[in-house]
Amino acid sequence: MKNFKQREIEAVREWKALHSGSTPVIYIGAATCGIAAGALDVSERVRAILEKHDIEAHLVHVGCIGPCYLEPLMDIAMPGAPRISYANMTPDLAERIIENQFLRGDPSLDFAIAQFSTNGHDGTARLPDFFDLPMLKSQVRLVLRNCGFIDPENIDHYLANDGYRGIQHAFELGPQAVIDVVRDAGVRGRGGAGFPTHKKWQFCRNAPGEVKYVICNCSEGDPGAFMNRSLIESDPHCVLEGLLIAGYAIGATEGKVYINADYRLAIARLESGIAQMKELGLLGENILGSDFSFDISVKEGAGAFVCGEETALIASVEGRRGMPRSRPPFPAVSGLHAKPTIINNVETLGTLPNILRNGADWYRQFGVKNNHGTKTFSLTGKVRRPGLIEVPLGIPLREIIYGIGGGPWKAFKAVQTGGPSGGCLSEEYLDIPVEYEAMAGAGSIMGSGGMIVLDEDTCIVDLALYFLRFTQAESCGKCAPCRVGTWHMVTLLENMTRGQSKPEDITRLQVLGETVKRASLCGLGQTAPNPTLTTLRHFRAEYLEHAREGYCSAAVCKELVTYHIDPQRCNGCQLCRDVCPTNAITGVRSEVHTIDLERCIKCRACYEVCRYHPQAGNAVVYESARRVMA
Amino acid sequence: MKQHTTRMTLTIDNKTVTADTGASILDVARQNGIDIPTLCWHEQLSPHGGCRMCIVEVEGLSHFPTACTTPAADGMIVRTHTAQIREMRAEILQLFLSEHTASCLVCDEQEECREYMSTVRKAGVTTGCRYCPKDGQCELQAVTESLGVRDIIYPIYYRGIPVETEDPFYDRDYNLCILCGRCVRMCQEVRLADVLAYKHRGRDAIIGPAFARTHLEAGCEFCGACVSVCPTGTLREKARAWEGAPDREEITTCTFCGVGCQVRLLVKEDRIIGSLPADDPTVNQGQLCVKGRFCNTELVNGHQRIRHPYRRENDIAWDVSWDAAFELIAEKLRSSAPERTGMLVSSNLTNEDLYVAQKFMRVVMKTHHIDSTARLFYGSGFSAYLTLMDRAVPLSAIRDASAVLMVGLDTRFSRSVVGVAIRTAMKRGIRMFTLHSREHTFSLNADVWLQPEVGEEYRYVEALARLAAGEDVTDRSIPADIRVHLADVARALSESDSPVILVGAEFLQYDSSRAFLAAVAQLADHVGAGVLTLPAQNNLYGSLLSGSFPELLPGMRPTADAARLQKLESLWGTSLTGLTDAWNADHLLRDDCAMQFLYAVGALPPVHRGAATFTVFQNMYPPEPYCSADLVLPTAAATETDGSFVNGERRVQRVRRAVAPPGIALPDWDILCRLARHMGAEGFAFTRPEEIREEMAQVIPGFGEAEIDARGILPLAFDAVMHVSGNGTAQRPPDSDHPLILHSSVVEHTHRGFPLAAWVEGSRILFPEGVLDISAEDARALGLRDGDSVHVSGASFEEIYPVRIVRQQPRGALHASILESALTHPNPQPVSVRKADV
Repeated sequence: MKNFKQREIEAVREWKALHSGSTPVIYIGAATCGIAAGALDVSERVRAILEKHDIEAHLVHVGCIGPCYLEPLMDIAMPGAPRISYANMTPDLAERIIENQFLRGDPSLDFAIAQFSTNGHDGTARLPDFFDLPMLKSQVRLVLRNCGFIDPENIDHYLANDGYRGIQHAFELGPQAVIDVVRDAGVRGRGGAGFPTHKKWQFCRNAPGEVKYVICNCSEGDPGAFMNRSLIESDPHCVLEGLLIAGYAIGATEGKVYINADYRLAIARLESGIAQMKELGLLGENILGSDFSFDISVKEGAGAFVCGEETALIASVEGRRGMPRSRPPFPAVSGLHAKPTIINNVETLGTLPNILRNGADWYRQFGVKNNHGTKTFSLTGKVRRPGLIEVPLGIPLREIIYGIGGGPWKAFKAVQTGGPSGGCLSEEYLDIPVEYEAMAGAGSIMGSGGMIVLDEDTCIVDLALYFLRFTQAESCGKCAPCRVGTWHMVTLLENMTRGQSKPEDITRLQVLGETVKRASLCGLGQTAPNPTLTTLRHFRAEYLEHAREGYCSAAVCKELVTYHIDPQRCNGCQLCRDVCPTNAITGVRSEVHTIDLERCIKCRACYEVCRYHPQAGNAVVYESARRVMA
Repeated sequence: MKQHTTRMTLTIDNKTVTADTGASILDVARQNGIDIPTLCWHEQLSPHGGCRMCIVEVEGLSHFPTACTTPAADGMIVRTHTAQIREMRAEILQLFLSEHTASCLVCDEQEECREYMSTVRKAGVTTGCRYCPKDGQCELQAVTESLGVRDIIYPIYYRGIPVETEDPFYDRDYNLCILCGRCVRMCQEVRLADVLAYKHRGRDAIIGPAFARTHLEAGCEFCGACVSVCPTGTLREKARAWEGAPDREEITTCTFCGVGCQVRLLVKEDRIIGSLPADDPTVNQGQLCVKGRFCNTELVNGHQRIRHPYRRENDIAWDVSWDAAFELIAEKLRSSAPERTGMLVSSNLTNEDLYVAQKFMRVVMKTHHIDSTARLFYGSGFSAYLTLMDRAVPLSAIRDASAVLMVGLDTRFSRSVVGVAIRTAMKRGIRMFTLHSREHTFSLNADVWLQPEVGEEYRYVEALARLAAGEDVTDRSIPADIRVHLADVARALSESDSPVILVGAEFLQYDSSRAFLAAVAQLADHVGAGVLTLPAQNNLYGSLLSGSFPELLPGMRPTADAARLQKLESLWGTSLTGLTDAWNADHLLRDDCAMQFLYAVGALPPVHRGAATFTVFQNMYPPEPYCSADLVLPTAAATETDGSFVNGERRVQRVRRAVAPPGIALPDWDILCRLARHMGAEGFAFTRPEEIREEMAQVIPGFGEAEIDARGILPLAFDAVMHVSGNGTAQRPPDSDHPLILHSSVVEHTHRGFPLAAWVEGSRILFPEGVLDISAEDARALGLRDGDSVHVSGASFEEIYPVRIVRQQPRGALHASILESALTHPNPQPVSVRKADV
């Protein structure tokens, strides 16, 4: 304990030295998102340049700060100047900026997007504050507070930012008081269902037994969702501290992080984090001199979607096939190895240190009644500013999509939340607050944080089919409604996208969807019809167009689309004729070409070449035509 | 805390019912006569909640819980048959049916079809569509009917999975599978074999061994427990698939090994169509091995069964009447000297058969020359084995044991109910050790697998015995690291409260078997372990009790026991003095054995040697050509006679007649009684086995009818001295001329002298006879492929064998499973192998 206090003091000193010392600091966002955008290449070049010119500077790899569309991000903090952020880095651009800055003293403000005023320096009037950028202005960053600021592999950075203060406070309170704080704060499960966290904890705490477990659920399976991965990659210790707090509250002996095996970077950071915790006495016997002993291990899962379901997750951790079972008994009573077990989402756990450090009242100031605190979302799809965001609950949907996301490029059609278990909301619901009840009332769910914005180029039937195919393929096969029912739903939807369905198929789809929803064993099956059922509710007309008229207004359903050449625009360049794999296009040079619809397989090759080739005339059009009802 | 009451009251379908706490809604409903349809639920298995047929409405719950998985609670209000529930069930059932290819479950012609058996064909046939082997016994069919589903609104999805027929005994048509998971749970929860699992996801979800292994590779025991619980026609017994429902059932004792499992024989039109485990609490607890489950039916129904007595001379055979047969035997017997007359019996016969047989020899033939083929099986360890067998602890000792040591036991295809008992005990946390030179069922999940070199097994047991006695082991032939393991095992056994040593059949034919068994006995003494031998011959104990050995009188008394002789003389009304006892079955292996008359009752005389002047062969199946049988008599199988067996625990068990024997075949005891009467002997007027048992009860305690029904364990002790043949020589190490070690063992899977492989199709794959097992490495080195023939030559031995490449075989050793180990003495021995010329 004494050593730990000493380490905390040293960590703060080191952190201060980094930020107000005489050495410049270069930050590079190197979470998976940044790396995918090329952050490591940028980092490599920066390192080479620094070496080449013998420049003394700290190069810190930080996590993800949120705006995906700006990746890779490089920030430079010169001594006595604010940290300036440069977006969409390439190695060449980075080289230029570094050389300008360090060799010529020119901060290249033309390439900068924002500055951070956090370290007390006055900035230049030319740059906005990073958090005043439209994407960040409405955000409230509690869970993500350290993301993009600290080196996730350095526990001292976390300690310097009040790390592990939450667990220390918890030790002062005692386990039951911790549960009470969580109750007073009104924390609800961030995995999507919004079950009050303290209730689950109380069940587990009250359950008899010496051995209890806490599992962190990082089986992030929704297509397009990356909140949990980003959080662990950018600030692993906040999740690990959350696990400690949860374990202490319920009287657990062991914590496990169940994480998709393909999250390599997150796993590496968890493992190094766990090693550092052990070194500091934050794991093991009598943590920080308390009577609490705890251990954490990482369990990699193969990524089956159903393993996000609690009982399937437990089966998977036990080494069995990830297959859910009926409840009761609930995991809080009989879970992992038949011992009382709590499973909390990454974000739920990541919130706990804040709450324990600052108190329930502090937390309750964010959000609205019964929906306290913040929620992270992966804002993706047809939106101008995609990224990882954190907003207070109760914020209107419109504010997220238009304010933070900048709205879609084309006309807005719908927003999909909750991934394959969630639903689609149309424009009329944009003003509902983002709350568990309001979202459910509108027919969707809060979900774990996937938020996909769709514009007029998206076909709703195709979208429903996409999600249903996903859940169909991920069904474990244990119960018939899910395994067979979703398959028949897929068939019905497929027929619709091919113009082969009858109008009564819509009713059948709805009835079957309701059966699957009500009769399935686990959450996967019970929510699988949601994307279909909510779109049937909000976009019924589009279904009817497909079923009755064979018409796809977004011109997405291949079978319902035909390709033509606009004779006014065709310049007879023959490029389309050359790329057509079935020789469906005929025409002599410099004369108007035609597409033989019998031979056309709708591969889109002609459209692509005509649309984008400099010589072509952008003459290929595709459209869906309404079938005349007999 | 809420006080838990032992009874609770709830309302189901407006009916107030009470139930014990802990019961599920389904249990309570069924106890009160309320029927809720189920498909995945099975009484032997944990609730699954997968089929969703048993969904119910519970007041206060927004979702529809499954009755099988939801515990009933006090004050609960349950509705099981509301309109909504019925509709959902029908909807879910339609989903099942839409991927179940037998859509004629909802065929328009269904009713007419049942009544008139009409078939949609051009010709006027009246067979009906037999679309599925489970027709009429299918649970999906029954549920479809009870829910009144007559139409499927969904398109039918034909999965088009090829039917799996390549494995022995049962086929699998996963197109009919509804993924209820009963087979998986049976395999994982009850058998604890973990062979079957769910595989793949979504539309491809299917049952089978994981990682695309075959059932054989995955360690399937072919116990057929999965087949028994399959509600559809997916898993089907090859032999029974199209037989339909049985007319009646008969409970009897399995005849394939000393465990003595209770089986339920399914009988249809006086023919046995199947055998299922009986729910017996003492022995097999509702489980069987592949032999009891599948081999029974095929063995007793073989079309080659002998139906009439026949005479053979100069390779010509002709049927004779019983009377003619008896007259011929009587004539030959009258002209044979008692000292050159002998009867060979097998220890598969019932106690009654054996008792009458020895009485026949002693009273009619005035000789003690009756012997069991078991003597040939155990070789030099015969006497030691019987002594060990006599200290058998009951099977329940395994379940209560805190440590178990298996020596030379593989429970995969035989005694597999013992394997289940061990796995159950292991789940409870007992220590489990196994000693075996080959990979086997427990080699990977035992705490310690001691794997001696072939032929070194007895040294390991001796070392264990010495360690357990507190002595040091300095045997340099055992590597130091192994000695550490041996010490661990010895310590664990010594420290255990109730250790059990299970002796298998693996090393019993080795020359070292006497030393091996003696070491086992010593070890058991030192650690205070119970020993369970469970002999391969199901009625070995019965043959001791009935006195069917030259050294033993009924009641397991030595032939020299004057008091017993006197008692028998008065019981049988004849003099028993001066009877010869100079012969035993070992003599048949000698070239100088000149028998005038050999009577083989349910036994196959040893190969080639010792041909008698006249041989009577009395069995279920015709003799092998080498037997030179002069007269062949047909006998009833164990399913065709009443009687009793004594299992390896010394428990007397009933055998019941389920069907009539084929042709004019008779039970062995009946044939011998008739023969004796034909020869004018007194004391053979038995007409029913009960009468024989009555007489036996006078000299053998525990054989009264009431005592047999009590199924207790016989209170007897074996203290006779048996003659053993000790013709073994020490094993020589491999040399450059003979680089491999051949170890052979007698086919353990025999019945009445025949290897099961001879008459049961599927057993040829699982436990073939007369093949040479070779490791993949050795096969590669010798350029051999599976099924090639090899020429094996040792010091005193030359033979051609087909080879089978098996993963289990250790490198450098070859294993031959043959009818008689005597052929390959010394055993094990160094041999050379070359590919045989085609």
